[in-house]
Amino acid sequence: KDKSAASKDSTPEGAAKRQEDGAETPKQQLSDIIGNMKVEVSYRKKLQQLKTRENKKQAINKLESLDSEGSVPQGTTEDTQRSKPLNPELVKAASAVASSLPHNKKQTESELLAQLRRHEETTDKQKKGGTVNIRNVISEMTVKRQSPAQRGARISGRISLQLDEDGQRIRPERSSARSIDSRRSLKVGKRLNIFTKASTEPEHTLKTVSPPTIWDLEFAKEVAAVTAQPPRNGFEEMIQWTKEGILWEYPIDNEVGMEDDAEFHEHIFLEKHLEGFPKEGPIRHFMELVICGLSKNPYISVKQKVEHIEWFQKYFEEKKELLQEI
Amino acid sequence: MAAAALCWALRAARQVLPSPCPRQVRSYYVDWRMLRDVKRRKTAYEHADERLRINAIRKNSILPKELQEVADKEIAALPRDSCPVRIRNRCVLTSRSRGVKRRWRLSRIVFRHFADHAQMSGVQRAMW
Repeated sequence: KDKSAASKDSTPEGAAKRQEDGAETPKQQLSDIIGNMKVEVSYRKKLQQLKTRENKKQAINKLESLDSEGSVPQGTTEDTQRSKPLNPELVKAASAVASSLPHNKKQTESELLAQLRRHEETTDKQKKGGTVNIRNVISEMTVKRQSPAQRGARISGRISLQLDEDGQRIRPERSSARSIDSRRSLKVGKRLNIFTKASTEPEHTLKTVSPPTIWDLEFAKEVAAVTAQPPRNGFEEMIQWTKEGILWEYPIDNEVGMEDDAEFHEHIFLEKHLEGFPKEGPIRHFMELVICGLSKNPYISVKQKVEHIEWFQKYFEEKKELLQEI
Repeated sequence: MAAAALCWALRAARQVLPSPCPRQVRSYYVDWRMLRDVKRRKTAYEHADERLRINAIRKNSILPKELQEVADKEIAALPRDSCPVRIRNRCVLTSRSRGVKRRWRLSRIVFRHFADHAQMSGVQRAMW
């Protein structure tokens, strides 16, 4: 490994020498050739190392596929992986590789075993993280299928343009295909949420975990107390107040708490809620006045208006016997 | 998994004030009269909608009088603290019931104290 380090140092120097000297002397050419030879030797060693790593990785994958039942409950923490002993086959392979290389056997063996552990950790991380990325990538890709409408358009295009020259027949089909594809690809796929507020979908997947224990809460409180330094200036103080809710967010949004998504016609035309009442009589007269008043009220939400009307409905139904006596 | 639980716990723990920057927190009301006023405000808020609707039935010339009499009895049956007339705008700091300016919710003495120490924004001694 020292020779490979030395060769690495010599290669940039050799490259610098080549760049600087336009006309090289034969001595420099010889030194360059020797430098290239050193590079080749170190590259051979790198290949050997790569091959051994691949063999080990294959062995690891085989063993992990066999031991996956046992290793799953161990979790993601690194402590458990270090305490987990390496498999004897891998140890034997490491010792064989160490004996094959011409340096100190014990040093190389320990270094190879350390590399093995690192590879196990990375493969575990990749297994948990890498598959998700691939799934995301594949989900965005869709299979191209010709819809019958598109087929009809293309056929009709072909039929109408058969009278024209051959060159003009091909172009509109291509452009129509491209425009249709661009139309499809614009609205398909994950939103980047640059211009709109982000949805809270990914947070729901995390909430299915069991509620945190008291020790987790205490630890979290300790962490918060340690990391929360007192504000260094007025800006940080104002930021802290905004987070706590003491200070409003600027520019002031007049509709912070309200999220009334109803259209104006839902506020004004409330006669459809009057179906439970009798069609004639003083009650109907009274309720029409109530609705007239509600339609002019801009401060209540549609839900509250509907609740208002439903309360009256309940009230008059309870008093039905009394009303019939009258 | 543990990281997600930690995040949830951190969000819950943020409600607790961190120790390095303590702020004065009032944990008691000034006196019992203030407490009673607070209770009255709470019950008035809870029964406000009902009172409005029953009063709409009562103060009416269209509905029959028997209905209005029944509504009278119903509104009298509600708790006495639920009517807004019983609320008194007391001073927030001293619980003084008289001499309270509505804009600042403070009694005249406290208002004068803060204004003289330049702790009231936009308030100046009048001179003309």
